[in-house]
Parts: sequence; structure tokens; C-alpha cells
Amino acid sequence: MVKAYSQEYVYKHPWERVTSASWRKFADPENKRTLSHILEVDTLNRKLDSQSGKLYTTRAITIHAPGPWFVRKIIGQDICHCVESTVVDAQLRSMQLNTRNISLQKFVEVVEKIQYVPHPDNPDGWTVCRQETSIQIKPLSALASMAEKIEQRCAEKFLQNSAKGREVMERICKYLEAESGGISL
Amino acid sequence: MGITREKNSSHSSTSPCSHLRAAYHNCFNSKGFAEQNLGYRWYSEKFVKGHWEKEECISEWQKYRACLSEHLDDKHLSRFLEAETVVDAAIKDDSGSPVDGAATGVPE
Repeated sequence: MVKAYSQEYVYKHPWERVTSASWRKFADPENKRTLSHILEVDTLNRKLDSQSGKLYTTRAITIHAPGPWFVRKIIGQDICHCVESTVVDAQLRSMQLNTRNISLQKFVEVVEKIQYVPHPDNPDGWTVCRQETSIQIKPLSALASMAEKIEQRCAEKFLQNSAKGREVMERICKYLEAESGGISL
Repeated sequence: MGITREKNSSHSSTSPCSHLRAAYHNCFNSKGFAEQNLGYRWYSEKFVKGHWEKEECISEWQKYRACLSEHLDDKHLSRFLEAETVVDAAIKDDSGSPVDGAATGVPE
């Protein structure tokens, strides 16, 4: 009983710009309205490996995830804390983000992996984003009997939110592109 | 499933740190860098361009982190503030293998 799916998306922007946008996605205040499910993002830890050019970052992401009323009644809250671990390898030009929930763990386990790498056909101009998500209602939890239904709804919500995320990413990339060309928006 | 506005503006335990967080973001990858010559972009101006030997934004980071350790009341989250190795551990533990090579299929 695991709901898993993957998505792939190509940004027609170089890897450096796309990963820069990824850092700004939750940091820029003007994205708050589009990404209204994200309540709070804090950097908890960071480490630079100055030998190999790798940057490790851990962030806390607080998400507003209201389920249907019968789920809320069981869980008793609609806020979920997640931890996101990121490794950016500047030498290999790869960025990998892994996010998992750390609250509500006795009910559900959500893992999301996102990877940004240069597009093989146009490594200096385009970037591939691969995203894998898995959602699992814990088999012995109070939600187990409706697991399939909840996983499905969760997945739908996640897909909606990742579409919003892409919209924001595209907007920031466009902004950065204009900026680098000296055109002001 | 309606999202209420009140929910977004309230509740946060780390909001006392928001100005320190903004100062850190301003150094790490500022929005106003090119536009108004405000802030700095260590990530896009240095790190991704191959100048990763020197860590920057250190004082901004330390102030922000100090504030977080004071205000972060969730114990699940605060343990990530302390550990030096947690960053790697969280990722390795997750994927079953180190991410670096796996990410691009290039072995180290």
C-alpha cells in the first residue's frame, strides 16, 4: 500500500539559474501567495565541503495540509513538519533534495526526492528536474482502513502543489534571465 | 480543503527570527543583488561558478542559527540544529546510498 509516482520536467534554463531559483522558491516573499500551503521554511544546518565543492543543507518545512474532516478528526492537526536535506554538487552540477515528514509519522510516511541536473541534449542551456514521491499510510495506524483513498487524495494534492511549485520556479528563472541580460522587468 | 489566510500569518514559533533569516537569505542568494545592489549572492556568484573554497555569510548564518536554537520549540526539528553529521545522515539513510554519485550516475 504505497502510492508512488514520478514526474519529469525540463526547464529551458541553465542548471545554475534553475538551482538558484530553487533556493529562492520558498525564500522570496512574493511566492507566499501561490505557495500558500508552505507556512514556514527555516535552514537548520548547512555545511560546505570546500574540497569537493559540495554544499549540504538541512531545512525545516512547515506545511499546511488539511485533509478531509474524518482524517483531521483522527490526526487532530493539519500542520505537518518536514525535513528537507539538500546536496548541491557544484563540480558535477547536480542538486538533490530529499524531503520527508517528521511529524505524523505514526500515520503516514511521505518521501519526496527532487533532482536537478543538466539536460543531456543541452547541458549548458537546459535543466531536467526529476521528482519522485511516495506516500504510505502506516499499515497499523488508525487510518489504515482508508489508506488507499487517503494516499490517492494526498497524491492529487501533491501533484497540484508541484504544479504551483513549477510555476513559481519558471517565474523566478525568467526574472533571473532578464536580470542577467540587463533587461529590467 | 479551504485555506484560510489567518493560518498563514499566525502560529510560527520561528517568526522572531524572520529578520535574521532574511539577512541570511540576503547574503546567500539575494533577490535585490543586481536590481538595487542590495545584498549578495554567494550561491550564484561564487559557489556555482567554482569558487567554493571559501565559505561566506558565516556571521549572518550564526546569528540566524542562534535565534533558531532559542525559538525552535519542536524537539524533532531542533535536533537537526545541533548535529554536525545529520545533513548527510538524513540523505544517506533515505536513499540507501550516497547521493553524490547516484545523482548523475557518475561514480566518484
